[in-house]
Amino acid sequence: MALDAAPAQRRGLAFDGVAIAAAVATLICAAPALAVIGFALAPGDGGANFGGELLRDGALGTFALMLVGGGGAILFGAAAAWLVSLCGFPGRSAFEWLLVLPLAAPSYVLAYSYASFTWAGGWSPIEVRGFWGAAFVYAVGLYPYVYLAARAAFASQSACALEAARTLGVSPGKLFRRVALPMARPGIAAGGALALMEIAADYGAAQHFGLTTLSTAIFRAWYAHQSLHGALQIAAVLLLAALAFLMIERRARGRASFAGGSTRWRPLPRYQLSSLAGAAATAFCVALVTLGALLPLGWLARLALLHANLGDVVQPFVNTIMLATLGALVTLVLASAIAVAARRATGAGKASLFAAAMGYAAPGAVIAMGALALFAVAREAGWIGGLGTGLALAALFWCYAARFAAAGVGPIDAGLARLSKGLDASARMLGAGPWRRLARIDLPIAAPSIAAAALILFVEIVKELPATLILRPFDFDTLAVRAHSYASDERLLEAAAPSLLIFLAGLLPILVLTRGITRARAGLRRAEAAPAPQAGAR
Amino acid sequence: MPFNLSRRAFALGASATALAACSPATESSEANFVNVYTARHYDADRALYAGFEEATGIAVRALTGSAEQLLERIRAEGDATEADLFVSADAGNLWRVKEAGLFQNVVTPSLEQNVPAHLRDADGAFWGFAKRARVIVYNKARVQPADVATYDALATARFRNALVMRSSTNMYQLSTLASRIERLGAENARAWAAGVRANFVRDPQGADTDQIKAVAAGEAQATLCNHYYFLRLSQSEDPADRAAIANVGLVFPDQAGAGTHVNISGGGVTLHAQRRDNAVRFLEYLVSDEAQTMLAPLNSEFPIRPAIAPSPELAALGTFREEDIPLDALGRHQAEAARIFEAVGWR
Repeated sequence: MALDAAPAQRRGLAFDGVAIAAAVATLICAAPALAVIGFALAPGDGGANFGGELLRDGALGTFALMLVGGGGAILFGAAAAWLVSLCGFPGRSAFEWLLVLPLAAPSYVLAYSYASFTWAGGWSPIEVRGFWGAAFVYAVGLYPYVYLAARAAFASQSACALEAARTLGVSPGKLFRRVALPMARPGIAAGGALALMEIAADYGAAQHFGLTTLSTAIFRAWYAHQSLHGALQIAAVLLLAALAFLMIERRARGRASFAGGSTRWRPLPRYQLSSLAGAAATAFCVALVTLGALLPLGWLARLALLHANLGDVVQPFVNTIMLATLGALVTLVLASAIAVAARRATGAGKASLFAAAMGYAAPGAVIAMGALALFAVAREAGWIGGLGTGLALAALFWCYAARFAAAGVGPIDAGLARLSKGLDASARMLGAGPWRRLARIDLPIAAPSIAAAALILFVEIVKELPATLILRPFDFDTLAVRAHSYASDERLLEAAAPSLLIFLAGLLPILVLTRGITRARAGLRRAEAAPAPQAGAR
Repeated sequence: MPFNLSRRAFALGASATALAACSPATESSEANFVNVYTARHYDADRALYAGFEEATGIAVRALTGSAEQLLERIRAEGDATEADLFVSADAGNLWRVKEAGLFQNVVTPSLEQNVPAHLRDADGAFWGFAKRARVIVYNKARVQPADVATYDALATARFRNALVMRSSTNMYQLSTLASRIERLGAENARAWAAGVRANFVRDPQGADTDQIKAVAAGEAQATLCNHYYFLRLSQSEDPADRAAIANVGLVFPDQAGAGTHVNISGGGVTLHAQRRDNAVRFLEYLVSDEAQTMLAPLNSEFPIRPAIAPSPELAALGTFREEDIPLDALGRHQAEAARIFEAVGWR
């Protein structure tokens, strides 16, 4: 028996095209980040001497912001997801999608907007500035990453476990702590990891609020100290820290057992909150939506009206949609291959998840520098020419994949977590090859997650600035580029309209995304297939 | 169901893509053009491009970005670079490109005649076409103009706990200190930076405009900024901006001494320019009567040519004496300026 199994396994490996595709995809996604680490390790101009403790202060700054801003985002996101998924209160169904709105607003836009209306002479008595200001902007701007992932997790939970707990007389708070939360932990962790890495990678908001983080330290070393090598060294620290963070997060998640339990799905039972608790829940959701989107964007709308000259935003808008659509597709294909293969693999194969995902924690400009350096190597070898339009766009899509793979890999991997190991093993025993299992088992099971990942990627690329800025072709502006041009020239009135359009461009997919999650619940799909008694329950 | 929806979303995106591909956007069909990598991204520049095309028939294709990153792109592209011209709003950045050996020297009679010697590179690697002054803006209710007649005054006990300043990562802060290192040495520069740092109300936050507003709101008494941010606020469409500017005044410092610090916007022809002649013509156009007259009202920068009358708004700021140091000093001393800022805790 053992003698038979060994050759079969070898044969299986030799023909595993999915694994090979995933290996190539991982290489594509990780190459720019690995190039940055490689150049940082190479002997350089000894740029480490900045005459101060730049690296230390940057690391402390990033850590503190992740702790406070990221902690806030995780708390807000998880609580909001719990409320709209499992409780009933006034406005709940509207908040289901309203709560996602801040996802479409980049942190730098929120920071500029808050600075504009709360700083000197602004009408707000509370100034949003400094460390606490940045932490606040991250918390109210990034909680949707956690909210989305946690909601998907709550939505796919077995109703039976919750009902069993309820039958045993567990209070709503306790149910959340003891049953729902542990079961949603992988989702919350995945969303939280994205939010934390967003904070690590953010340059615009941290710089505007005058903070020293690893990201601002990178640009200080590069721009002020004129040491690109020193900047890459700081970037390498950031990337390696992200890698370690992702592995620790995965290990911690791995220890928690959250196997699906029952596979019988029914619409989730909902707690009808008392009128007082309901009002508090409504107020909480209103506050999140207002602070994360309505207030700062309303202010931008006012500025945009003051400068009632839209200028030429049509072409940038079209360019933005084009880049985001194609970029999301490219990244999605790569991310799907990586996630599926990693789920099947053991040991080293799993590492591809982290390698592909670490780019999410680095500023886009750093990833772009890694890509540019590799491009230079290829050009010197005579393989390619200058960065003409075609090559520039290709490089740009490459950078999007390298930067955002985590936003695709994470959700898809979480979606695949619902797949029991036994199912894959059974299919293998029945002689299904790797591609067939991909098409018939993995992709259908992960379909809602893949759709969600596609839309998150779309929004990410709509918001993306630095890689687009440096790698785009001539006379090719996106909305983010246009907004940046004006904002960096301190023309906030002119920057307001393109900033608002960034938000609007991201809004449509977000609405699709939320509808998708609501309907993705297996119970509902089955209920639709067979005329169901509980069709009205959502 | 979610798949159907997202398929519809993709179809939407795909049609937008097709639209983009059909639109006359990216690749200029005219054979006659010049490619500019520029760290300036002002609407004024687009007017200049249009003016140049009208005058010469040569289209300008622009790629905007940060100077440091555009430099890396040129470096990575090597002799295959698309860039014919590199333009920046800071002499230090232009010097960096020169140091990297990525400019070629260009000297023509019209450039020599139009650009004053202290506002261009000695070898002709880059040429200024507009200039900006680093001025002191003060709160009229709490400060007399005489109190801020010099940069040195900001480092004295008179302004204890009374200054706001922008981050020293900003190139204009760096060039201000670099010019001091050139004129008075590193020790003096360090003492000045430490003195100013000691007078901060709070750690640096925001950009130049934010500092001006803080001074106007009485949160601080004075700050350093580029002159045009002051002008822009006074012309802003936001009434709150115009109200704020009424509270502040502007001084060109060091008039009795070395003169006010100025920085240039300038450009140079790249080493591997594929359209060298067009690039030179564009440089010459930038310092021509037409472009120089156009630039000031559009962007509130001072013309590089003393003979060109500034716009009325600029003229209202008054005339001033500017410092006269070799431009490359702003680049040469920049890293040291950054180290000094770092050491005194002005980050």
